[in-house]
Amino acid sequence: MPPRIPIRVALPRLAAVNRPALLLPHIPQRGIKYGWSTAPPRSKHKRFNQPNSGLPALTTGPAAALKRRENTTPLRTGVLAIKKGMTSIFQGKTRVACTVLQLDQVQVVANKTREKHGYWAVQVGLGARQGRNVTSPMLGYYEAKGIAPKAELAEFKVRGEEGLLPVGAQLLPDWFQLGQHVDVRARSRGMGFAGGMKRHGFAGQEASHGNSKNHRTIGSTGPSQGSGSRVLPGKKMPGRMGNEFRTVQNLKVVKVDNELGVVLVSGPIPGPKGRIVRLQDAKKRKAPALQHREKAREELHQRQPDLQDRLEQARLRHLDMQAQRRAHMAEL
Amino acid sequence: MNAAAVVRQPVGCLKAALRRTRFQRSWQRCMATEAAPTTTTTTSPSMARTAFSQRQHMEQKKVAKFQIWPQVPSPRTTHPDPMPALTQQEIARLDPTGARTRLFSREHADSAKVGDVLMVTSKNGEPFSGVFIQLRRRGVDTAILLRGQMMKVGVEMWFKIYSPTVTGIDIIWRRPKRARRARLTYMRQPKHDMGSVDNLVSAWKKERYALRSKAKQAGGKRITR
Repeated sequence: MPPRIPIRVALPRLAAVNRPALLLPHIPQRGIKYGWSTAPPRSKHKRFNQPNSGLPALTTGPAAALKRRENTTPLRTGVLAIKKGMTSIFQGKTRVACTVLQLDQVQVVANKTREKHGYWAVQVGLGARQGRNVTSPMLGYYEAKGIAPKAELAEFKVRGEEGLLPVGAQLLPDWFQLGQHVDVRARSRGMGFAGGMKRHGFAGQEASHGNSKNHRTIGSTGPSQGSGSRVLPGKKMPGRMGNEFRTVQNLKVVKVDNELGVVLVSGPIPGPKGRIVRLQDAKKRKAPALQHREKAREELHQRQPDLQDRLEQARLRHLDMQAQRRAHMAEL
Repeated sequence: MNAAAVVRQPVGCLKAALRRTRFQRSWQRCMATEAAPTTTTTTSPSMARTAFSQRQHMEQKKVAKFQIWPQVPSPRTTHPDPMPALTQQEIARLDPTGARTRLFSREHADSAKVGDVLMVTSKNGEPFSGVFIQLRRRGVDTAILLRGQMMKVGVEMWFKIYSPTVTGIDIIWRRPKRARRARLTYMRQPKHDMGSVDNLVSAWKKERYALRSKAKQAGGKRITR
């Protein structure tokens, strides 16, 4: 290679000193010093330096999951309630069997955000618990929220930021609109250890024809040698039945009563009386009208106008108490 | 303890002394346990704290370290069971005069009893009359079972007494003697089956018509059920 003649004299460039980011460093162009080519450049190497550049959007991962579930995530938070029993209501000529759900001290305890937690959700609490039955970490949690300890906590995912509610806000039955659809989720009645006939609907065995002491037992659990001589995973067998979460979708809200604190939904729901159930706007039906949603939110703010102040007060009190607790621990 | 005994049997005496001390100790303990409740009954509030178990004491200490905020109002205190209130509301709406409730109430002697013949008039279809076989008391869902005949075939029909489709329930015929069963399922047997009640219904209609016309003649006053 013959020595190259320096064409340009290296001069101090004022622009480069002032704005180094805009001007690229001066290097001789590589690749086409000798010869030429008409082919287009093989690839834009810069795409490898950018996230997701040149590739389709990911179909997996948190962002994709949220996007996928956007349409089936309710706009508003749901509530926790206690199943109180069943009754019926006559709507015109028709009788509608309803389940009575009582909303007992349902309060917003916290909000989960996309930035901090990765999704939008409202944490809701129900009922009350004696301070002595609550662990210290949870007592501190409620102390900072300005809320009395709750008996139950649950999270309800919402579609976006507009679904979040102020901490401490109490949700009353009129949060739901008459005639709207809701999904109810609860643990079913526990049946204990049940056999194959009851648990999976197996046919059982014959009463006679030489059958001996095997009338309700399950039969074979699989083929023998040649097929592996093993029981395939997931084989239906006797075991614990019930006491698992079951959802009933698209129940209609038949009646709401703030004084009794009840919401009546059409039809039966899983679990015995006294079971704690989750109640939220239906996934697969239209959300309640915008007018109702706005009205419900406005009423919530009207009932408790000083929630912001109270939360701030609680936060300060929490810091104060925390300092006291720390000082006490340091003494010991 | 006499000295002579000690001299004679030093070991035996020791035994006796030990026994005595043991006895005394048990006696003392006895006194202590007996005395314990009397002392606690007369204790001051400061002394009452000692009555807590170790665990309770720890719990109190834990709770005292935290600020526990007041609770929001709860329907649990005002309406621990909303079911009776809801039932009452619904019954009041469906039966504002209370006539339906009264017709099957336990308190009223002239209420319809099992074994009577009733006629139910409903919005959908002909009036159905039959023997009142069974009463199912379930609040709003309270229902009656009537057994009658249609085309010479025994037919049983359930009617919700508060249903808006049921417009009227009339007592056609009263059983002379009180039924000694709550559910007259035996009336399904051929031996006890009442068969058709049409003759009873027609008799009741005739009587009613007569009464009504007589009342009209008397002063134009209408007798309503």
